[in-house]
Amino acid sequence: MKTALVISVAVIAQAVGNTLLSKAMKGIASLPSHSDGFSLLMLVHAMQDPLIWAGTFLLLVFFACFLSALSWADLSFVLPATASGYILNVFFANHFLGEPVAMSRWLGSVLIVGGVALVAWSGRPDRAVAAEPAPAAHEGAGTGEAKC
Amino acid sequence: MLTGIMVLLVVFSNAAGDVYITRGMKKIGDVSAVSPLDFLNTAKRILSNRDFLLGVFCLAMSFFSFLAVLSWADLSFVVPATSIVYVVTVVGAKFILKEEINRMRWAGTMLVCLGVALVCIP
Repeated sequence: MKTALVISVAVIAQAVGNTLLSKAMKGIASLPSHSDGFSLLMLVHAMQDPLIWAGTFLLLVFFACFLSALSWADLSFVLPATASGYILNVFFANHFLGEPVAMSRWLGSVLIVGGVALVAWSGRPDRAVAAEPAPAAHEGAGTGEAKC
Repeated sequence: MLTGIMVLLVVFSNAAGDVYITRGMKKIGDVSAVSPLDFLNTAKRILSNRDFLLGVFCLAMSFFSFLAVLSWADLSFVVPATSIVYVVTVVGAKFILKEEINRMRWAGTMLVCLGVALVCIP
C-alpha cells in the first residue's frame, strides 16, 4: 500500500512537473522579446518563472519518492512502475497542452514501458542465476526529466 | 534537425551524468552515516569527488537542454524520445564501467529503441 502510494505520487509529480515546464517554456518562447528563436536569455527568463520553479519542485518530489521507494522495494519493481509515467506524460501533453498525439506515439510509449520493464526484470536475483552472464546493477537511467 | 540534436544532448549528458555519479559513488564506497560527524565526513568526500561533481554538472546540462527543447518541441515527443537514455546508459555501463549485460537486458533496451523509433515517426 505504501509502495503503491509513493510510486503513484512519483509518477503524477513527474508528469505534472514536465507538463508545467513545457507550458512555461512555450509561454516564454511565445513572448515578442524571444521571437527570434531560442537563446540562452530564455533560460535566464525561465529562472524567474514560477511555473518553472513549480515544475522543478515536482521533479524533485518525483526523485525523492523514487529514492524512498528504492529504500524498501526492489529496483526491478520500482523502475518499470515509474516508467508508466511515460504514458501519463503523453496523456497530459495531449489533454492539458492540446498536443496532437498519433497512434504510433501512443504505441511507442507503451513499447518503451515494456522495454524498461524487461530491463528491470533482467536484474531480478532469480534471473541472475538463469541468465548469462550475471546482470549488472544498472540503476542510473532516468533522472527526473527524462528519466526525466 | 535541431530538435534531434537537442534530444541527443539531453540523452548523452544524462547518461554521462549517471555513469560519472555511479563511478564517483563506487570510489566513495558504502555510504552509511550513523553520527553527524560521519555524515559531514561523507558529504565532504562526496563533494570533493571529481567524478561526482562532473556527474552533477552533466545532469544540470541535461536539465537545461531539456528546458530549451521544450520551448519549441512537443512534450509528448520529447519525454518518450529521451527515454533512449536507458540504451545509452546500458552501453555506458558495459564499456565504461565494465558491467556485464545479459541478453534480457539487451532485449529490453532494443524494445525501448523500437518504442522511441515509433514515437519519432512524424
